Amino acid sequence: MSRRVVITGVGMVTPLGVGVEASWSAVCAGQSGIADIKRFDPSGLPVRFAAETVPPPVQPEDGGDLKLRLAVTALREALSMSGPLKGPRTGVCMGSEIGRPPLPEVAARMAEGSDPTREELNRMDPSAPTRLLAEISGATGPTSTVSTACTSSSQAVGEGLLRIRRGDVDAMIVGGVDVLVDAIMITGFAKLGALSERNEDPRAASRPFDVDRDGFVLGEGSGVLILEDRACAMKRGATILAELTGFGCSCNAYRITDSPPDGRGAYQAMEAALADAGLTAADIDYINAHGTSTPMNDPSEARGILHTFPDSVPVSSTKSSMGHLVAACGAVEAILCVLAIRDGCLPPTINLEHPDPECALDHVANEARFTPVAHAMTNAFGFGGSNGSLVISRHD
Amino acid sequence: MTEFSDVVVTGVGFCTALGDDPWAAMQRGETGVAENEELVRLPHTTAAVVERIDLRAWLKRRKDRKLMARPAQLALSAAGQALTSWSGETDDLGLYLGVGREPGDDGESEAALVAAQSEGRLDSQRVAGRCRDLYPPLLPLKTLPNMALAHIAIHLDVRGENGAWSGDAAAGLTALRAGIWSIRENRCAAAVVVASDSWVSTGAVRDLIRMSGGTPIPPPGEAGVALLIESAASATVREAAVLGCVDTAEAGAQRAREGSHHSFLGRCNAADGLMAVALSIVGRASNRWVTAQEPGQPIVGVRVHVSSTNACYAPTSGSGLHG
Repeated sequence: MSRRVVITGVGMVTPLGVGVEASWSAVCAGQSGIADIKRFDPSGLPVRFAAETVPPPVQPEDGGDLKLRLAVTALREALSMSGPLKGPRTGVCMGSEIGRPPLPEVAARMAEGSDPTREELNRMDPSAPTRLLAEISGATGPTSTVSTACTSSSQAVGEGLLRIRRGDVDAMIVGGVDVLVDAIMITGFAKLGALSERNEDPRAASRPFDVDRDGFVLGEGSGVLILEDRACAMKRGATILAELTGFGCSCNAYRITDSPPDGRGAYQAMEAALADAGLTAADIDYINAHGTSTPMNDPSEARGILHTFPDSVPVSSTKSSMGHLVAACGAVEAILCVLAIRDGCLPPTINLEHPDPECALDHVANEARFTPVAHAMTNAFGFGGSNGSLVISRHD
Repeated sequence: MTEFSDVVVTGVGFCTALGDDPWAAMQRGETGVAENEELVRLPHTTAAVVERIDLRAWLKRRKDRKLMARPAQLALSAAGQALTSWSGETDDLGLYLGVGREPGDDGESEAALVAAQSEGRLDSQRVAGRCRDLYPPLLPLKTLPNMALAHIAIHLDVRGENGAWSGDAAAGLTALRAGIWSIRENRCAAAVVVASDSWVSTGAVRDLIRMSGGTPIPPPGEAGVALLIESAASATVREAAVLGCVDTAEAGAQRAREGSHHSFLGRCNAADGLMAVALSIVGRASNRWVTAQEPGQPIVGVRVHVSSTNACYAPTSGSGLHG
């Protein structure tokens, strides 16, 4: 029998707050972390709001880089729960895309005709968060960096699960981080037609599964989970928060920008995750949906959910509160599932005033729902058609 | 006695500066490294550039090529070749990809950024105006690292488990190890493992020189490389020619670092580890442990073995199932 994998530490920074409890209480209270952009002057841009983090205190190792600061802050919180894990039997896998220096710096450099330094180039490397977290934690086991856009950290968590099961390692530090809120990214995604343009009411802009949704809200954040072989965790007396029981993923093989209308790729990933967990659809008590609030994603995902879960299962999208954290969303939303299991509380989809009939699910709409949760699923679906689903279970 | 893996290689694809059969060209003493006009102002004036990436056999829609950065084109060409022998379902076909840093665009973002400036400072009105006009709408999707994975999935109908790992030479080996494990664990029936990278543009070569911190670097290069792997049982059932086998355990194999092909194909970064494995397969290596290591990180390795009974590689570019 393969090894069981448990979660012994979690940490996050989201637009709703620094730290797990700050983010969790805000998301359950139906608060929004989406507001007018403060970091730069967005006047004239088609989208002038986003889900920005309030940057946590500077970390000695972050080199002034916000992305690395978010990752290190989440790591330290997760390790404060799990206790230190280091050495060759601990690995690191983070979901991350390339780092982007602040645009004013880029503009100044272009004007000077100067090039980025070696240190700046290293910080931009997608693997930079992975390397730094390994260095800080003292983990000297296998390291890797997953870059599958919005699915990155879901797959990073999945890789951690598989590596522990296979016996490669006893523990994995996994998660994701992304910081995309800048003028060029907003311009680019807006031209793609992917962003909500509800400038007059940013708090209402992210409205997954609502008939009036018009796009996603760009966000930023980080999430880190400590995964351990259950026997090792119990032996050292660690507090077990939940068990990671299943992981599945698939490719849409459809189009670069669109999801297949029948939800095929989505249900393929969800069914693979259920099979991996040894569970049936009836066992799942809550789904934290990818739910981006784009016209295309939500009905496709809803059809995928209805295909896999013909009987009703409560569904919510916490992107309504914290926007789309892109490479970090899979890890952050997996942590929300851990907390849903811990507290018996399903965080709501806020702004869900008029559910789209094309998304006829059992929505946890606008207010949290209190009910015991034994098994939860979280979905992450990326640009380009990579899909990842995770199953998290109460630890007995 | 060394036990060999039951995961076998039944397809190989290359898209390199030495064409789709680089091993044969290397044996003839040819090199793909040549003077490059674009690099004349840099300390490195040579590079191994793929002159022509022929995607006609693999693209479902020819216009999609415009959406593909160079690493995605290299990857699709190699994956298409590796998959020519595949005859099974594509729902169960895994896709594991090693990629480099975010690929550069073709200058579109630089033009937009220049237009966003006023006297060396970012001007929000210009960002919202001329910059926005110049910014191609699909650019964010062209340059995401996982877009090579997306294009392979779309054009070759690969729908199974997948992943894209960023990094340098170890990225492709990490992808291959994931693929081997997935087959062993029945997470997919077979898998196409791909690695690609391109470091031949002026900007990329500048970055490469700066990242080297003054130490000499091999000539920059670009390549796509792919393996089709499956269980030995699957290959037997479908009567596929087995080119060799791959394993995640070192088990006494002869150690070899990636990079011996640099003088022929240039340094292809994220493609280098998997390139070393693929060249070991077509070069009929016996029990070789191919490794790569990124700065400060643990070694990643894959064992390769070709026995006397295994089939010989023959290039398949431009024809096959997906043509």
